[in-house]
Amino acid sequence: MQDAPETLEIAEFLRQHPPFGGLSDAELAALIRALEVRYYRRGSTIISAGDENDWFSMVRSGAVELRLGGSDLNARLGEGGCFGYPSLLRDGRAQNEAVALEDSLVYRIAKPAFLATIRSHPEFRAFFEIDEAVRLRRAVDRMRQVASASEGSADTLGAHASIGSLVRRTGIVTGDPGMAVYEAARLMTREDVSTLPICRDGRLIGIVTDKDLRRRVLGVGLNLSSPVSAIMTKEPVTAVPDTPILTALITMAERHIHHLPILDPAGEVIAIVSSNDILSQLGSNALHIAKAISASADSGQVADATSQLPQALTGLVAAGVDADHVSRYVSTIGEGAHRHLLKLGEEKLGPPPVPYALACFGSLARAEQALGSDQDNGFVFGEGYDTAQHDAYFAELARHLCDGLNAAGYRYCPGNIMATNPTYRRTAEEWADIFRSWIESPDPQAVLESTIFFDMRALAGEKSLVEGLRREVFAEAAKNGIFLSFIARAAATTRVPLGFFRNFLLQDDADEGRVLDLKTQAIAPIVDIARTHALAKKLVATNTMERLSGAADSESLPRDAARDLAACFEFVRDVRFRHQAEQIVRGEPPSNKLDPASLSRFDREHLRDAFKLIRDQLEKLRSQFAGGVT
Amino acid sequence: MMLPPFNAWRFSRRFDAARKAAPEGPLRDFYEAGHPGFATPVEDLEMIAIDLETDGLDFDHSALLEAGLVAMRHDRVFAGTGKRIRIRPPAALSEASVVIHRITDEALKDALDEEAALAKLLPMLAGKVLVAHFAEIETGFLDAACRRVYDAPFIAPFVCTMALENRWFPRPRAADGLRLAKLRAQYGLPAYRGHDGLVDALACAELLIAQLAVRNSGPTLGDILRR
Repeated sequence: MQDAPETLEIAEFLRQHPPFGGLSDAELAALIRALEVRYYRRGSTIISAGDENDWFSMVRSGAVELRLGGSDLNARLGEGGCFGYPSLLRDGRAQNEAVALEDSLVYRIAKPAFLATIRSHPEFRAFFEIDEAVRLRRAVDRMRQVASASEGSADTLGAHASIGSLVRRTGIVTGDPGMAVYEAARLMTREDVSTLPICRDGRLIGIVTDKDLRRRVLGVGLNLSSPVSAIMTKEPVTAVPDTPILTALITMAERHIHHLPILDPAGEVIAIVSSNDILSQLGSNALHIAKAISASADSGQVADATSQLPQALTGLVAAGVDADHVSRYVSTIGEGAHRHLLKLGEEKLGPPPVPYALACFGSLARAEQALGSDQDNGFVFGEGYDTAQHDAYFAELARHLCDGLNAAGYRYCPGNIMATNPTYRRTAEEWADIFRSWIESPDPQAVLESTIFFDMRALAGEKSLVEGLRREVFAEAAKNGIFLSFIARAAATTRVPLGFFRNFLLQDDADEGRVLDLKTQAIAPIVDIARTHALAKKLVATNTMERLSGAADSESLPRDAARDLAACFEFVRDVRFRHQAEQIVRGEPPSNKLDPASLSRFDREHLRDAFKLIRDQLEKLRSQFAGGVT
Repeated sequence: MMLPPFNAWRFSRRFDAARKAAPEGPLRDFYEAGHPGFATPVEDLEMIAIDLETDGLDFDHSALLEAGLVAMRHDRVFAGTGKRIRIRPPAALSEASVVIHRITDEALKDALDEEAALAKLLPMLAGKVLVAHFAEIETGFLDAACRRVYDAPFIAPFVCTMALENRWFPRPRAADGLRLAKLRAQYGLPAYRGHDGLVDALACAELLIAQLAVRNSGPTLGDILRR
């Protein structure tokens, strides 16, 4: 009789590591029957690149370094780290070299048993799929699950919940457009509501609030017999029960509204959710900041309002809000600060003498701002602008704006890309000439410095000025293959950390590349890839996620690659926001730089996957746009 | 360094004498399988690590409770060959050994009596080099059991990882410095829970591959055998 392998220590160890924990006793026993224990002295080679490899390997103790084939990228594996499996799945030779960094005990499972388990167990297979992208996407999903699980009971749901979960009362009171203002007021008093949806034939056509009664009736002495349709806000912004709370929050912050009618699929109003309902759920001052900015009387008050942004961000991160929403929220606040400071400036200096627009560049233009962003802005002038006559006004307006932004935490741009710099106060034609000079005679350094301008968005003023400029510039860029190849090459020179992982597990060889800069090393390359495709296909979107999906729609980027990059982008930004939230809690200024040793194993492993994926995509980008041919 | 010839000669003579003394059956079969020559390079040896759990240290009067075994070569342990043989002691278990070895009456249900246990164990050992940490226990208890069951001695080529450490890497040590767990820690091997025959056999096997990896001087069976 054949005894089942009873090597308890090995089974227990395997069970502690994710894909093995999901195996049945019989499946695990089959793997252990094919398992060998090996010991490698520090410095000895376990697998050489190009070797026939017949083993799946797992570090039991010690540390093993993988030198990824054909690159200077290293991965360091500690206890539980797995290697040698891509070649088994591929049925090819090993591409990576594995070297023991310490005296190491390694479990090896023979190829046939490993492959048998791969075949019979989909989850086991999924874990070891060579595709880092898949693992990364799964990690993002898991992160979300963890975030939503940590919300606890249904009563304390966070920002992931849908707006429908906030609906408390049913049987909503509505008015009709023909009723008199006094009737509407009486109905609202009797029903004790501060908001009255106005419906015609069961469809929402407007909304009346307490504030409307004050401002549009009492304040102006309106006849109380007037129809309520005269004072209602027509075609109000609405949401459906499935709208995520955070999306609703951002909409309300952007539109400065405090009540949101919720419609069922048939278009009938089923509830009104107020900003207070949402705030009491999120427990953060998220909406309050936008409100405080727009109510500020001077730049000092704007700065007071934005100073609460770090706390609000901590709250959103703690509530498990995903990185994309956090970015959009932070960007919304940034936009609000820009607009309101400009408005205050105009109030002080008088109305602008010619039409103009405030353009912003970079992360704010992409709606991807994080904390600690610099300001990047400029003015675009319309018809009738004359430097001698008008520049003094705009120089003063720019000073007001940029000083105010700096005080509000949006530091002066180190590269002086600000409206205070005469170079960036131009007519639309002059702007177009500048862009044309970059596009038509590109040199590598100029291209590197100019990329930020291709992420451009109007924040205030005559937005069409910026829109027209953007359209013209993108049209020129799209047909210039040489320029595109320069842009693609500039992206590919971005420093994705390579030798960096060498320092990951062991503390004793510190000091070299200890700091990871998430912005320049992980986020910027993805932004660059998306921008290159956006230029090539004249995409209107400035947001990276939107550009990636636009690139896929226009078949500039394979759908898989777009999805992988988006998952990657979300993951690294999530790491950044969690890192920034921790810094805020510790009382440190938020930054994009972090010590890799502070990363959890989960983040570390998935960052490694992310870097690998980014690198691959950068290389593809470069070859796709090489030679000036699109 | 070779085992001195007279020792090799003496081992062979004792092995041969024991073969002749063994009755037909498992023990005789064990001897008929022979043993590898002392000049065999360790790379060519088939070995098996063994650990016995007993309820005392007196070979003749303490009970043999369990044998853990795992096959190995000089640089690898075949984890899938791990076996545990539970042995029903002649007398009732003492309370203390139940506690120490976590062996309960429940676990004894599939236990074999001493004769059946040896009949299962000996074919697994035949022709192999045996490996144990502090091999006096294993040699002593197996010899006592064979004398009880077959009225013949048990002679086998044994490697003792404790003796080997002392011989190859002599240095001043704490009183317990040669214990299995301490030595494993020195080699960077993970900590295992003790007092389980199979885990201890695995632990001992891993220690030997670590010792051989560090020694790395192409020894032969004669060099590593317990003297």
